[in-house]
Amino acid sequence: MKRVEIKLNISAVAPLLDIIKQAADDLRQNLAIRATFPEDDSEFNETWTQELLAGQNSDVRELLGLFGSDFFADGTITIDSHNSDSLLRGCSALRIQILTRWLQGIPADLLEDEDVPAEAIADEVRGPFASYTFLDQVQKIILEHLDPGAEEA
Amino acid sequence: MTADGTKTKKTPRAAPAARTARAELWRVVVLNDPVNRMSYVVMVLRRVFGLAEERARKHMLEVHETGRSVLWSGTREQAEAYVFALQQWHLTAMAQTDETA
Repeated sequence: MKRVEIKLNISAVAPLLDIIKQAADDLRQNLAIRATFPEDDSEFNETWTQELLAGQNSDVRELLGLFGSDFFADGTITIDSHNSDSLLRGCSALRIQILTRWLQGIPADLLEDEDVPAEAIADEVRGPFASYTFLDQVQKIILEHLDPGAEEA
Repeated sequence: MTADGTKTKKTPRAAPAARTARAELWRVVVLNDPVNRMSYVVMVLRRVFGLAEERARKHMLEVHETGRSVLWSGTREQAEAYVFALQQWHLTAMAQTDETA
C-alpha cells in the first residue's frame, strides 16, 4: 500500500485550519455544489441530496481528522490508499465552499496560478486564499504520489 | 449506485416502472467548474467511467475549452448512477434527454 507522509509547518497551517473549519461548518447542511436532478420529483431529489450530503460530511470529517492532536505534536499528516479518496473529495468540497464564501472577487487566472505573490491578494482574503491553495496542494500530492486514477472503475 | 466503487453505497430511490418504460436516450453531461484542477477531473472521469487516461484527458479539455462534454449516453438508470457518482466527487454533472437538453 502506497503511503505518503507530509511534514507541515504547524504555525503556518494552524490559521488555515480556522478557515477550513468555518467552511466545514458551512457544508454541514449544504452541498458544495448544488445537485442537479434528472426530473422534478421532490422525494427522489431529497433522497439524492441527503445521500450526497452524508458522503460530503464523511469526507470533510476525514480531512479534519488529519489535523487532530497528533498533527499538533509533530506536524505530520499521513495519507494512504485507504483515506485518499475521502481526502480528495473533502479537499474539493472545502475549496468550492471557500471560493463561494470568500474568494468570489478574485479573478480566475489568479485562482489557478500556483505562484501568486501575496500582495496580489487583498489582505482580508489572504487567509481564505492560502487555505484554498493549501487544500489544492494536498490534492496535488495525492494525485501525483498515490495515483488514485489507476484504480478499477 | 456509485459507478466508481466509492463508499456511499445507498442509491437514490429506483425509478418507478412507468418511467423506466420510456425508451429515451439519456446523456451524462459534465460542465466546467472554476475550482477542480485538471488532473483531479481526469482522475474522476477515469474512475467513474473506466476511461483510459488519454480519453479522460480529451473529455476534460473539452469541458475546459467549451464548457461541457457528453461523457456517456444510454438508459436513464445508468445515467443517474453516473451523475450521482460525479456529484459525489463534486463535479457539476447532469443527465439530459433530447427533451431536457
